[in-house]
Amino acid sequence: MATETALGASSGTTKSETGFRHWSALRNAAILLALWEVLGRFKLVAGGALPAPTEVLIRLWSDRGDYPLHILATFQGASLGFLIGNGLAILAGILFAVSPVAARLGRGLNVAIFALPPIAISPILVLTFSGMTPRVVLAALGCYFVTMSATVTGISQTDKRMLDVVRAYGGGRLALLCLVEIRSALPAILAGLRVAAPAAVLGSILAEFGGGGRFGLGAYLIGSLGRADPARLWGIGLAATAMALIAYGIFALIEARLTRSTRAVTVAATPPGIRSEGSLVSTIAITLASITLPFIVWWLLLKVLGTPAMIAKTPAGVFDYLFLAPSATSAQTRLLAALGQTLPMTLIGMAAGLAFAFALALASVVRPGIVRSFMPVALVTQTMPLVALTPLLVLLLGRGPSLILWITISVTFFPAFVTLAQGLGMVSRGALDVVRAYGASPFTELRLVSIPASLPYLFAAMRLAVPRALLGVMIAEWLATGTGLGNLLNQSRGYLDYGMIWTVAVVSVLISVLFYQIVIVIERHVLQKRGMQPAA
Amino acid sequence: MISNTGITLETVSRSFQGRGTVVQALDNVSLDCPAGSFTALIGPSGCGKSTMLRLALGLDDATSGEIGVAGMKPQQAAKAGLTGVAFQDAALMPWRSVEDNIALPLDVLGRKRSDFTAKIDGLIDLVGLKGFEKSLPGELSGGMRQRVSIARALVTDPKVLFLDEPFGALDQILRRQMNIELQRIWMKNRATTLLVTHGIDEAVFLADRVVVMQSRPGRIGKVVDIPLARPRLPEIFTTPEFHALEDQVAEALDGH
Repeated sequence: MATETALGASSGTTKSETGFRHWSALRNAAILLALWEVLGRFKLVAGGALPAPTEVLIRLWSDRGDYPLHILATFQGASLGFLIGNGLAILAGILFAVSPVAARLGRGLNVAIFALPPIAISPILVLTFSGMTPRVVLAALGCYFVTMSATVTGISQTDKRMLDVVRAYGGGRLALLCLVEIRSALPAILAGLRVAAPAAVLGSILAEFGGGGRFGLGAYLIGSLGRADPARLWGIGLAATAMALIAYGIFALIEARLTRSTRAVTVAATPPGIRSEGSLVSTIAITLASITLPFIVWWLLLKVLGTPAMIAKTPAGVFDYLFLAPSATSAQTRLLAALGQTLPMTLIGMAAGLAFAFALALASVVRPGIVRSFMPVALVTQTMPLVALTPLLVLLLGRGPSLILWITISVTFFPAFVTLAQGLGMVSRGALDVVRAYGASPFTELRLVSIPASLPYLFAAMRLAVPRALLGVMIAEWLATGTGLGNLLNQSRGYLDYGMIWTVAVVSVLISVLFYQIVIVIERHVLQKRGMQPAA
Repeated sequence: MISNTGITLETVSRSFQGRGTVVQALDNVSLDCPAGSFTALIGPSGCGKSTMLRLALGLDDATSGEIGVAGMKPQQAAKAGLTGVAFQDAALMPWRSVEDNIALPLDVLGRKRSDFTAKIDGLIDLVGLKGFEKSLPGELSGGMRQRVSIARALVTDPKVLFLDEPFGALDQILRRQMNIELQRIWMKNRATTLLVTHGIDEAVFLADRVVVMQSRPGRIGKVVDIPLARPRLPEIFTTPEFHALEDQVAEALDGH
């Protein structure tokens, strides 16, 4: 029962094996908690900034009257955003999967939504909307990309043979969609919803952070930040994490229930169709349209909402503020100074987070035990709302640059690790057996098979890490260090410098999109040379 | 009532745009399968036999030439519910039970399933899957899944039947059994049948005519008539006449 294969490869785990795994995870958690208790009780970390779990629980109990209203408020924002965001995402995903032209047109908008750091637009939302709307919008935005891309992947990975059967009986587009594609994409869509659920909670909390409203865990956290009461902050963090985890768990459960009976029976024999390229002119036209579309949507939204021009800046307004207005030079100087602080931190943090994730993922191939004991922790942390963590890290690490790095590493590390471990786990047994048959050592296996085979996942991890790194840096700057873009955003909020708020938001989205595009270009080049497909 | 349920291909060509090259999958192919005949297509990999079948099924369009199925365009014939098809992999939907998989063509054609319950029961019986009606494909063996896909191909009482290496994934023993079953089923409903296969013995045993194809470019090399009387019994596999016909096909495959 102790013999265990690497992650994902052991499809036929026996009951005693899973029992053993649960037991060892419990044991690890217990050791961790005990250690934490000792550290907290004796105030060994940062002079008591890390309270013992029991202290946190006691504080949680004495604060119990406060929590229901805050949790309810966050839940309302998150769940409404979840419904709206995912509804739109699934519809958009179906549209993109069905129409390649729509997919290419929507690319710019999709990448922008994926890459936008929520913290950057939360002040704008708070200024433009009132009441619950900013929370709902941010929660919906957090869900959109995950579920949309899961839907597209799910539909486009439909077994081509099943489509052929339906087509052979004269089935049209609608029949294909209803009889095969949507049902076959269901596991992928549910996996998307599972990831989107904690993202919705995070989105709502981020909006509460940016102001507006008395209730919500984010508002509670900001309100408690000034009081030197680490136990309460940890309690709020705990409550937020629990909310995200429960949301994640519910959908993981539904997914497990539904996918059990519907695994594909044989391997698809037909390769996916070659993407038909139109003429050069139409390609350029579609690309240009796809880049302009986000700006048109931005402009249209403001027109429809009718927000006063003083507060709501259109694309032209931002351009005017940054280049034409009398204060333009001052704005440019401040922006460039902030960029000079933010960009290096983002790059260093992202590189460190990815390197750490890659090293640990490789180590886990050689020693599968690492993944087994580490995965539960990784999953919990992945669903932990980052903002809830930041004030706690401030208590632990102070307000220096090391804090920014730690936050950035922690937000990029986990998704990257999960993606990479998944990729390494999917390396074909057959290919590994070939080199093993020639007596290869685990390291030769890594070098010859595992690393080259998991390249697509390395790039997928990088794509995932880009916007998260910028988000991490900006949150740390906003809440703790008082430097860079995050601080500029926070200051401008205080001075009601609307032009700068919009400029920072737009610039941070553009930077994120730019980094993302650079990764895509490198990915395409490298993978094409090796005849590989990008991982979803 | 459709009088002519044959399959006709007239000077059909199909080329694919590769990486800077053009691959001629089918070059000027003409073939006439009369109503009620059983034709087998055999040839090396890449000779265009599957392309030919996909064209006749309306899954793909010819670069030039005309294809007729029961006197209509392939897609029209498909929409009229005249055709049936079984693919190399069973291509079953893993979330549908055996019954529901067999009923799939009815759902696509928009026919009422309740009118066909007796038909579906009969087919399940015919392919020997009684008691597995509610099973999911994942719970069946490879041979059983293939039999489900044969039953699915027959549920609409097709006048034209397309079989794309339907037993390609099965072992030799099971394959023989399925060949004998298929002949029995075919003799009952006499649908015009086009079978794509890799097996010389399978082609000779089942078909009235074996069409031998050549590759690069894909074209018809030779047509071998199989004058063996029906029903052909399992013993026929060992007779000298059978071997002589097999040799003819093998020679044609070698390009003689």
